[in-house]
Amino acid sequence: MKLVEYVREGQWIPLTGYLFYVAALTAGYYYNLTFVQLGLTDLGTREIGLPAEDVSVVMAVLAFLTLVVAVVSGITMDKKGWSTDLYVKFRLLFFIILVQLILTVAAPFVSSVEAFVGWVVVCSMALGLGIPVTFSFMLDFIPIRDRGYVAATVAGLSFFAAALYPVEWRIDEFSLVMSVLMVPAVLILGVISVKRFAVIDALAGQHERDTFGIGRFCRPTPVRTLSLAFIGPVVLMFGVFFIDSLGFLRIIEEPLYIYTSWQSPDMGVRLFIAVLHVVGALAAGVLYTNFNRNWVFFWVFGLFAFTHLLYVFDIRFGVGDTPALILPMFYVLAVSFYTTLNFALWPDLSTTETIGTHTALGVGIAGWLATFLSTSLALYSEGIGLPFGTHLTYVNALSLLFIVGLPVLLYGHRMVVLARGGTAS
Amino acid sequence: MNLELIPLLIVVLLMISAGGVDVETTEFVIEGDHEITEHRGALIVGDATVIIPGDETITGPVYVIGGEFHIEGAVEGDVTQLSGSLLIEDGGSIGGELQHFGGSEEFADGAIVSERSSVEFAPAEPDPIAAYTPVILTTLMLALVGAWFARTRRTLLDTVGSAARDHPVISLTVGALLAVTFLAVFVFMAFTLVLLPVSILGLLVGMVTIFYGIIAVGYLVGQQWETERVGLATALGIVAVMAFLQVIGVVPILGDLIAGGLLLIGLGAVVLTYFGLQEFEPVTLPG
Repeated sequence: MKLVEYVREGQWIPLTGYLFYVAALTAGYYYNLTFVQLGLTDLGTREIGLPAEDVSVVMAVLAFLTLVVAVVSGITMDKKGWSTDLYVKFRLLFFIILVQLILTVAAPFVSSVEAFVGWVVVCSMALGLGIPVTFSFMLDFIPIRDRGYVAATVAGLSFFAAALYPVEWRIDEFSLVMSVLMVPAVLILGVISVKRFAVIDALAGQHERDTFGIGRFCRPTPVRTLSLAFIGPVVLMFGVFFIDSLGFLRIIEEPLYIYTSWQSPDMGVRLFIAVLHVVGALAAGVLYTNFNRNWVFFWVFGLFAFTHLLYVFDIRFGVGDTPALILPMFYVLAVSFYTTLNFALWPDLSTTETIGTHTALGVGIAGWLATFLSTSLALYSEGIGLPFGTHLTYVNALSLLFIVGLPVLLYGHRMVVLARGGTAS
Repeated sequence: MNLELIPLLIVVLLMISAGGVDVETTEFVIEGDHEITEHRGALIVGDATVIIPGDETITGPVYVIGGEFHIEGAVEGDVTQLSGSLLIEDGGSIGGELQHFGGSEEFADGAIVSERSSVEFAPAEPDPIAAYTPVILTTLMLALVGAWFARTRRTLLDTVGSAARDHPVISLTVGALLAVTFLAVFVFMAFTLVLLPVSILGLLVGMVTIFYGIIAVGYLVGQQWETERVGLATALGIVAVMAFLQVIGVVPILGDLIAGGLLLIGLGAVVLTYFGLQEFEPVTLPG
């Protein structure tokens, strides 16, 4: 690992970059996991009193707006050169966190549908801008060799924290806690946005190094946005996120499965899930760093397919008792795997010229759009009273489609390469 | 789930399969405390405490492979005990046959058992020599195979050993993922009964792969002696590895973790190198 080299040589400036990246992305992803994805549902249904179907429509709006803002801001950042200007990115991040702080403080006071929709629109803008800004930090702070491990650390830590706190997903309860935690971040970013520091100057130039600025999969030829090398992973990751949210959000609503999910009242179960998230993420980091990325995709789809099979089997043939922990165990492994992949993959498919666009498209489409669209669909299916077993059957079908589709896609790609006169390597 | 239950579970599933019991009504209680008040079909008691309350009757058959099974009410069918504890309370009854192969049993004065047969495969309190015989035999077998392998297929052991030595974290990760996933898949397959032979075959292949890993690690240890008698060195290395696994296993938790980690490193190294046919090279990253 490069990190070990830096520590051994006492190079504290690159180490500061690691620290900043992990802190910023972990906090951001934790905020996304708790406050946005689950807090928003709570705000809409419990506080405002909207039916589940209406909340699903609002979620879809949030998804779409987030994607649009992310793509527009990503392209703009690349065109104007902001993607490689660390000071500009710090200023943008300062602005984003400030807006999110205001939104967090305001959340418990949102009491009307109009205010709720307004809150969602502003939230989606902050999120959308935040995607290219934060994910592109990878090129500034983390050398290629360590990206898998650092992505694993971010995924593991954020899931670990989210599994253990808050115990209940109620927006009013942790709005206060989140606000208090965000204030120091706003202050620090405010200072480094307006004042120049030697450390920041040194960090700002790191992307010009070969080991930082050109992604792992952009060697020797950079990956173009309109190419199978980029669109393929976007489609695959969209599938992964979509399948996960579509299944998981219904599973955790089922009283039977609540006891072995993030919402379990049993702290032992939550601790088991939290630790497993970390273990799973680290395993994914090792695989990402040492193998071709297709192997990680294979593991993700394989784990998802098997997990859904386990759940459907339990629903059909179980006897109504609390299911064994093996069910959430595989789910957690799959989630940790794809989240780690999501953090590392997009920067590694980018160069300094494309990082804003690629992270915006990758995270925007594959992550946010898929998650929120499936969340909407999951809420909708719940709203129309679709039986749980039927819902999971659809999820299974999608899961199987992707596990079959991946080798077919890879094989087809190879055929296209060969047909164009490529070598049979 | 307690891993030691898996062989017994496979045996039970084979018995269920042979007995023509409907698999869809079979219930496997893996863990926790449960009161079964009504169940039609086979019931397998794993690492759990299962109680049939006083006024309840289940059809059975019941297979006890671990945990505790308390009968306060009635079991109409057969009860087969392979391990764990069986307690029949006053007024509790077994309408079919109680087949006892292992584990402890306790009957209250008023307990009713229609028919009982007993086949003990192991004495209740085995002496130390008997307890270590399987380990000693396994070690001898591995040492012999390892010695032969080192003399005739040294390159394969070199390749696997290099992966285990040079890439222990990757080997551990791959080994752990494969072990967890395939173990679950094979147990899951066993429940379909149709795939029971595949499940047994898969578990056997897994066992052979783990043994191969132990031989490769033993070969590495044997290399430390720098002798030309590579077969002997490998055999001694394997004995050292097996002895280490036994000794370290005495330390609670940490010992198991170390022993498990070593086995998984071996397993991962074997798989990564295609059983020693190809050297493992991680992808090359810049920097």
